[in-house]
Amino acid sequence: MSNKTLVTILGSIVLLLLINSTFFILTEGQQAIVTQFGKPVGQPITEAGIHLKKPLVQEIRYVDKRILNWDGFPNQIPTKDKKYIKVDTTARWRVVDALKFIQTVQNEQGAKARLDTILDGYTRDVISGHNLVEAVRNSNSILKKIEEKKAEIKKKKEAGEFILEEEVGGEIASVDVGREQLSQMIVKLADKELEALGIKLIDVQLRRISYEQSVEKKVYERMISERQRIAQKIRSIGKGEKAKIEGRLSKDLKEIESKAYRLAEVIRGKAEAKAAKIYADSLNRDPKFYEFIRTMEAYKKSLKGDSKFLLSSESEFLKFLK
Amino acid sequence: MQYQKTNPPEVQKVLDFISHLKYPVILGVIILFGITGSYYTVQPDEEAVVIRMGRHLKNTQPGLHFKIPFGIDDVTKVKTKIVHQAEFGFRTTSVSSRRTTYSSKNFDSESLMLTGDLNVAEVQWVVQYQISDPFKFLFKTSDPITNIRDVAESIMRRVVGDKLVTEVLTTGRVEIADNGKLLMQEVLDKYDMGISIKSIKLQDVNPPRMVQASFNDVNAAKQEQEKMLNQAEESYNRIIPEARGKANKLVQEAEGFASEIINRAHGNAERFSSLAKEYRKAPAITRKRIYLETMEKLFEKMDDITIIDSKVKGLLPVFSKEGVTK
Repeated sequence: MSNKTLVTILGSIVLLLLINSTFFILTEGQQAIVTQFGKPVGQPITEAGIHLKKPLVQEIRYVDKRILNWDGFPNQIPTKDKKYIKVDTTARWRVVDALKFIQTVQNEQGAKARLDTILDGYTRDVISGHNLVEAVRNSNSILKKIEEKKAEIKKKKEAGEFILEEEVGGEIASVDVGREQLSQMIVKLADKELEALGIKLIDVQLRRISYEQSVEKKVYERMISERQRIAQKIRSIGKGEKAKIEGRLSKDLKEIESKAYRLAEVIRGKAEAKAAKIYADSLNRDPKFYEFIRTMEAYKKSLKGDSKFLLSSESEFLKFLK
Repeated sequence: MQYQKTNPPEVQKVLDFISHLKYPVILGVIILFGITGSYYTVQPDEEAVVIRMGRHLKNTQPGLHFKIPFGIDDVTKVKTKIVHQAEFGFRTTSVSSRRTTYSSKNFDSESLMLTGDLNVAEVQWVVQYQISDPFKFLFKTSDPITNIRDVAESIMRRVVGDKLVTEVLTTGRVEIADNGKLLMQEVLDKYDMGISIKSIKLQDVNPPRMVQASFNDVNAAKQEQEKMLNQAEESYNRIIPEARGKANKLVQEAEGFASEIINRAHGNAERFSSLAKEYRKAPAITRKRIYLETMEKLFEKMDDITIIDSKVKGLLPVFSKEGVTK
């Protein structure tokens, strides 16, 4: 009985192993190649689920079916217009031909090594074959905007409005290719070589483009001097505007004062003329009497008490003194 | 039989014990494993992806669910309701109840970017995204988070690269964020990785640290200008209304003067006319009376009168001592 149990146990283990090796599970995101004594058999299997295979003689090699990442090493590359920049690229790729892939690069690590050389090389070629702007900008919309702004400023200036131009300068050349096109160029060039490895590039992203340090310093210096120039301009415009207001003040002040003076004098003059006419009309009726009476009044007013007075005895007033 | 006999009694005892119990125990253990492995709960902010024998079976929503145990069904839970956030150019270092602290050190390479006029700006931003399809998120790409970060950096540089640095620093923020969101979604859709971008939010957008002082100086100059103009306007507003008032006063005074002299003229003229009318009736005596009255009043006031006889010749006027000493 005991021997019998031993046989059944061993038998069932062997059976299980056999059953186990007649099918395999392919998880989502994977593809597989069946090899028979190392030789690939049939098409790669891409459908997830349970699949059959011949036990013992066939083996399975799994390959990733998902989109995979490639991260490039930041490269220092001179552009066509001799600007040193650091370009950091990343790419996404997938295995489209598992068989070729296994035959040429074995596994992901092998693929990454090949991708490094191919993508770095083409990135270098494409970047150094174009001006820096092509890698920075994607379109010429910026030029249109600048034109519009210039027209607007011109219009406002013509309308006499006060405009402060404080745009930051820089190089604004027109773009022929553009950033997206550059990465597509890299993809196109690299794809041709990668096809032989069973790899297809999804895209290449120019993740970071930055100035090399010495260039960066120069750009900063330019930005600083430009800001200083603008600050200076704002200050001097401010002083000018202030002087304008002060000028207006002094002009308005003088105008107000002189106008008032003029008006006052006119009023006085007219009144004096009118008064003179009134006097003349009335006094003309008896000028001699007026002369007399006015003289008398003037004596009373003008001769003060502490004056020294010499009086002739011939005077009419004193005629009875004699 | 012989084999069994060689066993020591202690071992034999254990073996007997097992052979006595083996079927129920093994069955019990299997059932126990089966029960614990046959259900799972999905939290309210999650969605679960069920893989049966390697193959995607279904997604399940929050709640209690059953599955086939023993590794036949494999369940992965993904937080689909949560809005995830990726930070660029800075990192949230701690979120305490009182204040959130950020660090922006050592992320220059992430935040510094070239603008369309080949200047440099420092842009910090966050990307908020949701996992819209958990299955795609898990199985379409090998590293979805890296993809999001790579694409976000690339797209932000592309959008900023099409703007002037002044736009980036001032008016262009909203446009950059909106464009960035659209373009990012477009690229991620190409990967078909089940991510939906909710928003891109620009945080601090500054000139690079080295040039910041000079940018601030421009702002200071603007303030100064404003202040200077305000001061000038202020003194204008202080002086001119006062001058207007004074001018008005001058005119009013002149008008007052005018009515005064005219009235006086009328008065004097009337007075004279009345007097002259009576005078004409008796000219000689009136004249005399007025003369004498005047003289009387005049000499009444005088302290020092010298009367000279016209017959005395060669007379020198004699003055009092006080007059000389003075």
